[in-house]
Amino acid sequence: MEQHHDTGGDLSQREFEQVLWQHLDAAYNLARWLLHNDQDAEDAVQEAYLRAYKAFPRFRGGDGKAWFMTILRNVCYTMIKKLRSHETPELFDEEIHQVASEAEAQEAFRQKANAENLHSALEKLPDEFREIIVLHDLEGFAYKEIAAIVGVPIGTVMSRLARARARLRAEIIASNAKESSS
Amino acid sequence: MNHDEAAQLLSPYQDGELDLGTCLKLEGHVAGCPLCQQKLEGEKDLGDLVRSEAPRFKASPFLKTRIQAALQKESFPSATIPWWKHFSTTLKNPVLIGFSFLLVVLVADIFWSQKRMPTLAQESVANHVRSLQVSHLVDVASSDQHTVKPWFAGKLDYSPQVVDLSSSGYPLIGGRLDVLDHRNVAAIVYQRRKHYINLFIWPSNTDVFNGRLHHQNGYQVLEWAKSGMNYLAVSELGEKELREFAEMIQTQTIDSQSKE
Repeated sequence: MEQHHDTGGDLSQREFEQVLWQHLDAAYNLARWLLHNDQDAEDAVQEAYLRAYKAFPRFRGGDGKAWFMTILRNVCYTMIKKLRSHETPELFDEEIHQVASEAEAQEAFRQKANAENLHSALEKLPDEFREIIVLHDLEGFAYKEIAAIVGVPIGTVMSRLARARARLRAEIIASNAKESSS
Repeated sequence: MNHDEAAQLLSPYQDGELDLGTCLKLEGHVAGCPLCQQKLEGEKDLGDLVRSEAPRFKASPFLKTRIQAALQKESFPSATIPWWKHFSTTLKNPVLIGFSFLLVVLVADIFWSQKRMPTLAQESVANHVRSLQVSHLVDVASSDQHTVKPWFAGKLDYSPQVVDLSSSGYPLIGGRLDVLDHRNVAAIVYQRRKHYINLFIWPSNTDVFNGRLHHQNGYQVLEWAKSGMNYLAVSELGEKELREFAEMIQTQTIDSQSKE
């Protein structure tokens, strides 16, 4: 820190490490949730660091975490396109997941609310839903930051997150894993 | 605020993302709406579950080491990016294409002139040595430039300038036809004390000769280009005298041209 008046290359190298290494876990977590396995997630994070490293001279301060997560997200989606181009997305049947009343839904949810069901329900969500829940509920980004990372208006973040949660809840209720004995 | 509007806002309300005004309006509605109260409770349940049970994946400690290693050899293609991807991004950048093209041209040009010159220098030295060995120094022996210059007429498709430097200690000995770089060239012979200088003159279309001096087996070769002609002076004279000679030739050539 004391050597801030150093040659350009070294300085930006040091700044890069200061700004970006602290986001390694956040980056890995999002990549892992989007890509579903360790190997792809590690590759994506490495690629994101390489891109950020090259683009770092153009980074003019501000929120380094949001900037880096934007890069990482782009890398992930590029990989998703390549990896899953042959797969057709599983359709979500609203009818099957319909529950009679809010009270019944609440009861059903409480019975099935456990880590295992949550995990598999999250895995079943479409990428854009899973991503927004990870960014907000696991990584603690505010709506405004998510809007910047995902590249959508803040109103879209608000409605997408609400829909994502409704869907997650419905998936948990519909999960057929063993019910927790409450 | 009606119920549908309120139901939409429960999620951001739970996240603390509503402005104060909207917050108060929503709370006003929820207070009198059992369904919204239930829904809000459901939101809380879900939020609690996600926050307490959703696994946050942690990067392996080796990942940082691996990335640091990759960053250190950043200019090399990394293991995760196929080499052709780098190539295709280079191809997409017109500035890079232009730059690489320019580089290739420059390198080729330098290589060509560097490579070409020594061959010519070798050849001219060989000519010089031969001219001294076989007593075939000149075809036309004359110290008079007005005898030597016309002699070339009809033997070459150009007319070389012949200058008289006898007053400066470089008397003209004569002229000779020679072959250099697969073509007939004029060789003008001068003397300095007991040394001879062969001055080869032929037309140039590219100005690659830029006053360089080559050393070749104890001989000096000085090359330059002037007024559309290439000049190669070869002699066993030292560099200083050869440069002095070349300088005089250059000045006199202009003088004789302006006289005509």
